[in-house]
Amino acid sequence: MNNSQTKSQFVAVASIAAELSAVMDVAKEISLAAANAKAIAFRAGEKAKGFQPITDFINELAKETIELVNDINEHALLLYQLTVNEYRTASAYNKLQEVNTLAVEARYSETLHPSLQHASEQNLECRKHFNQHVSLLLDQLGEVMHPARAARVIAANSRIEASQAGEYLQSLQAVAESVDHAAQIIHEKVQKCRSALNVINLSEAA
Amino acid sequence: MQMTKIYEGAYQWIMFARDPNKPEKIIDTNQYVVRTGKRCLLLDPGGVELFAPMLAAVLHHAPVEEITDLFASHQDPDIISSLGLWDQALPHAKLHAPELWEGFLRHFGCETIEYVGIPDNGGVIQLDSVELKLIPAHYLHSSANFNVYDPEAKILMSGDIGAALEESGTPMFVDDFDAHVEKMRFFHQRWMPSNQAKRVWIERVRELDIDIMAPQHGRIFKGDDVKKFLDWFEALQVGIAV
Repeated sequence: MNNSQTKSQFVAVASIAAELSAVMDVAKEISLAAANAKAIAFRAGEKAKGFQPITDFINELAKETIELVNDINEHALLLYQLTVNEYRTASAYNKLQEVNTLAVEARYSETLHPSLQHASEQNLECRKHFNQHVSLLLDQLGEVMHPARAARVIAANSRIEASQAGEYLQSLQAVAESVDHAAQIIHEKVQKCRSALNVINLSEAA
Repeated sequence: MQMTKIYEGAYQWIMFARDPNKPEKIIDTNQYVVRTGKRCLLLDPGGVELFAPMLAAVLHHAPVEEITDLFASHQDPDIISSLGLWDQALPHAKLHAPELWEGFLRHFGCETIEYVGIPDNGGVIQLDSVELKLIPAHYLHSSANFNVYDPEAKILMSGDIGAALEESGTPMFVDDFDAHVEKMRFFHQRWMPSNQAKRVWIERVRELDIDIMAPQHGRIFKGDDVKKFLDWFEALQVGIAV
């Protein structure tokens, strides 16, 4: 792991954490929109009958997204810790190699070899764990896309139902727009997380 | 890295300093090693930049598995920011450092090395049959700070007390105390915050039998220069920035 890889890895992991925090905010907005929609649908009564079950779906999607993002956040934190460990073991390995060169004439230079070997193994182990967790994180990010896609379909249905809600049309349409917009943002943020992870993979391949 | 034996008896004290490859802008530091039959203690082992030359130098005197103990007088980076690297190189070692600084020092990385916290009233490090006393030197300059005293070798490793800011390549020992004073004055007045702490430390140290006072920067004091330093320090007003 060289300096440039280390930097890009730290930046990538930090970017993922930032994007996930934004996804969480948006998921909470959807949850709020669901509560708002439920209140409007209740007031609208018969005119928004078709809209009522949709509000429950919206709420479920928001909950599901929040749970997934919580799980992913834990993973992202672990990924950060693994990055720190990898940085430390890589630095130690590089420094011990430097010692090995400097101590070539020292009486006890050979006693350094087990430490060098240990540092090298530790570093490889960290890299292995890191790669495993990047793969898991990519899978989890894929899962977050499902509720986001479902939210867009629900938003489309909501528009149709809203059109039959008489004087409540505008309020319900606003709810549909807000869900659609939130779903789009989640999609974009998750894509950014994936791109950040790809940067790590690319620097690893290089 | 230059190596100077400052005590040779049944065991040794070795000073490591004046590394010619040290980056220009970092402060020069003195590291000390106490080498007994089967163990080796590094006193204030230094910053990250110094880790490789320091370990390479120690390998002239001890194998890695016999480097069993580290001591950090306080938490500063020039004292112990290399901890994370020692932690990887010496999986079975102990770090003796102020109890108060444990949560802070662990930021440097301390997963495998055992942190042995020194309580405020001091303690001892037992190195084979050698007993080293940990003398409180709080607020000089760090709020939790210790010196190491060896009653047999009559050496006091005094950390930042007695330190001088000098250009690189300076001699290892004070040869003209009066001329040396000006190299110490600002450091002690500006870095040391408390006249009360200074008085308490001087009283404590005057009770010890000291042949050599070995600071972490600058030159070592020998014989009468130790007493001259205590007298000079006693008269000096410190904590001048407020």
